[in-house]
Amino acid sequence: MRERPSRRRFRWHPARLLMMVVLTVGAIVAVIPFIWMLLTSLKTYGEFSLRVLWPKALTAAPYTDLPASEEVVITLRPIEEGTWSGAPRSALPLMEGQFAIRQVSAPVAEQLARSDVTLPLEVLVLAADTDPAVEGYDTFYYSVGGRVIRQETTRAHLGDTWHGAYAIAAPDLRRWGPQLAVLDNDPHHFVIRQSWRPAVMLIYNYITAWFEASFARYTWNSIRLTLISLAGILFCSVLAAYAFARMDFPGRHFLFTVFLATLMLPEVVTLIPNYAIVIQLDRFFERVLHIHDAWLNNWTVQTIPFFASTFSIFLLRQFFAQIPGDLYDAARIDGCGHLRFLLQVVLPLSKAPLMSVIVLNGIWSWNAFLWPLIVTSDETWRPITVGLSKFTSEAGAEVQLMMAGAAITIIPILILYFIAQKQFTEGIATTGLKG
Amino acid sequence: MPNDVPAADSTDEPARRRPARRRRADQALQAYLFLAPATIILFAFGILPVGYAFYISLYNWRITRGGFIGLGNYARLLGEPVNVVLLLIGIGLLIGAYYAWRAAAMQESGRRMAWRLAVAALLIVGGLTLVLGADGMIRYAAEAREPREYLLSILHTIFYSASTVPFQLIFAFLLANLLFQNIRGKSFFRILYFLPYITPTVATAALWRATVFEPRQGLINTLLLALGVSPAQLPQWVFEPQGITLVAAQWLGIPLPAWVANSPVLAGPSLAMVAVCIYNVWVFTGYNTVIYLAGLGAIPHELYEAARIDGAGRWQLLRYITLPLVSPTTYFLVLMGIIGTFKAINHIYVMTQMVGLGGPQDTTTTAAIFIFKQFQQGNRWGLASAAAFILLGIILLLTWVQNRVAEGRVHYA
Repeated sequence: MRERPSRRRFRWHPARLLMMVVLTVGAIVAVIPFIWMLLTSLKTYGEFSLRVLWPKALTAAPYTDLPASEEVVITLRPIEEGTWSGAPRSALPLMEGQFAIRQVSAPVAEQLARSDVTLPLEVLVLAADTDPAVEGYDTFYYSVGGRVIRQETTRAHLGDTWHGAYAIAAPDLRRWGPQLAVLDNDPHHFVIRQSWRPAVMLIYNYITAWFEASFARYTWNSIRLTLISLAGILFCSVLAAYAFARMDFPGRHFLFTVFLATLMLPEVVTLIPNYAIVIQLDRFFERVLHIHDAWLNNWTVQTIPFFASTFSIFLLRQFFAQIPGDLYDAARIDGCGHLRFLLQVVLPLSKAPLMSVIVLNGIWSWNAFLWPLIVTSDETWRPITVGLSKFTSEAGAEVQLMMAGAAITIIPILILYFIAQKQFTEGIATTGLKG
Repeated sequence: MPNDVPAADSTDEPARRRPARRRRADQALQAYLFLAPATIILFAFGILPVGYAFYISLYNWRITRGGFIGLGNYARLLGEPVNVVLLLIGIGLLIGAYYAWRAAAMQESGRRMAWRLAVAALLIVGGLTLVLGADGMIRYAAEAREPREYLLSILHTIFYSASTVPFQLIFAFLLANLLFQNIRGKSFFRILYFLPYITPTVATAALWRATVFEPRQGLINTLLLALGVSPAQLPQWVFEPQGITLVAAQWLGIPLPAWVANSPVLAGPSLAMVAVCIYNVWVFTGYNTVIYLAGLGAIPHELYEAARIDGAGRWQLLRYITLPLVSPTTYFLVLMGIIGTFKAINHIYVMTQMVGLGGPQDTTTTAAIFIFKQFQQGNRWGLASAAAFILLGIILLLTWVQNRVAEGRVHYA
């Protein structure tokens, strides 16, 4: 037990060893999915599907002695029908040209050797105009052996387009071959740049996930939503907790019971009526105040309903009630009312429970999923969890991209957790027991 | 806006100069002001919706309000009213039997016999009506047409609770007891155990689905392959709709009689549901461990000292001191665990994304998932609300039963 005398020397007798083993097994089970996630997020598609345990990216760089970058000028000429089998059917390439990749990195070289392809790789460039709004050619496909390895459009910034429906066909080559960027998209003087960027290769999945699913937007949304929620929760629950803990008024007990009872309510019971209420609120704001989308698809709907956090009120009330009454009496003699007492005496004394409230509610609003899923219909205010769920269902077989997305979602929470892990466990333990 | 504080200048003045009654009225007014923001929001989004949900459940409400159909939605979910009434009467009689039993315990010996007979009669009749009602409902559910899946979803929920809560508690109790010893790296272990609980469900559920339970490249099946399981025999996890009894029988090569294979109860939870359960235990064991640790910390050390002086061994300490004294924690965790499984949507949503929400073949459709599906995919708001209300009723009943059961057994230190 805890009070075991410390003079007894620490020994590895069998019972203790067994305890350590059980604890370690528990820890491994708790952590291994996360490690597996990180490993998978660094793998290529091929490595994942061939059950390669250790991603090549983490071993000695297989691209150290490759040329940094080189510019290639390609002549494009009109193509005859039937020679563009590799391009997507929706696009009709009109120009074609060829260039060769003379060097690839070791993993791709291995892969090529297995599939009887030899260097140099003949890459076919196909130019098409898919968007009538753009004059000339706006879409370029690179294809090797009939498979599109990369697609670029001039509508996005040149060279920064990671998205390509058919590019998925050869993801490993895309990652371990040279990076290709269009420098000049004039079909008569078509210039691309081949470059080897080791850092990009290592975090390729993260970059791809980040741009394919607009994670930048989602992360920013989640940060904003979490901060708004926290501000609202703190405001509402500090005041309410103070009233419950230190003020006397008729109906106190009843009201507190009502607050506690809502802890039992499953989310699914209030989900449907709340959605109906929010729709009506939205219509009301539209009609009367002429504010468009005041409730649906906005921060209001995702944060305001959660301002009344019964959990936080309960946690803070516990603490506020412990503050000695003498303190208030003394403050009152000095002419201090409840509000000033709360702001100047109680709050500075309650840093620990306030931290618990902030940290736990921060986590919960970051992790919120079901309600935002229902009430957001576009990216404007969609939080990262919903974005991730959309992304995982779209990424399909590309598990390495999915895991990169999951890691992007988890990492901010992990950082917060490791900074403030004490507040987490203490907040949970103190209120958990009393619920 | 949230950082403003309500204007309360008038009450800021020294209140002691005023007469006592006025002061109390002032204080009450101020308290209501303090409570106003939280209360208004709680009523608008927490309490009012319960009534509204009931209102919706009485209508044929599909996005917009349709005709009033009374308890039609409930009947559609539960089957013939007769069976429902039988079930409710059965439950009522059993509750009555409980009270009669309590009364019997307090009586003088003469009347006790009569009370006991009454208890026995109530138990028999109550049990019979319960079984009759339940049987009718199960037969109704067996003719599975879409809205009737509700009863099956309740069965799945029961499977889900029964195969997660005990494991969560056993593992958590074990780990908490070990962590409570004088062991190196205690807080380090605690940090790691708590990790699954705080990370976003969407991310971890996707992670388990795509890298742990993946039938071809997943962690578990890779291990099984390494152990020499033939690729054809690898479990399909979230893609497997068959119950575990059937899966186990196939593995062992035992033929099962048709009445076992066709019974949704005996076939057991599907392997997909088992995968969801494993995930659930992984997430909540750490949370329960932390709460158990707090419970263990609250036991006074003197008790252990005294018992040790009396010559109690490790096992006796556990059996006669630790277990009884953490029983409030256990009770709380059981209640929270069961309610949690009744509420669970997020991780099932993510884990079954590839096979259709609540799939495969609806075997992971718990009551909460059923409600969500009816609401989101079927747009049957009335029906979904009715289902939510029945679920709420079940949760309240369970809480009540657990309270009663716990009354005599939980020791509050």
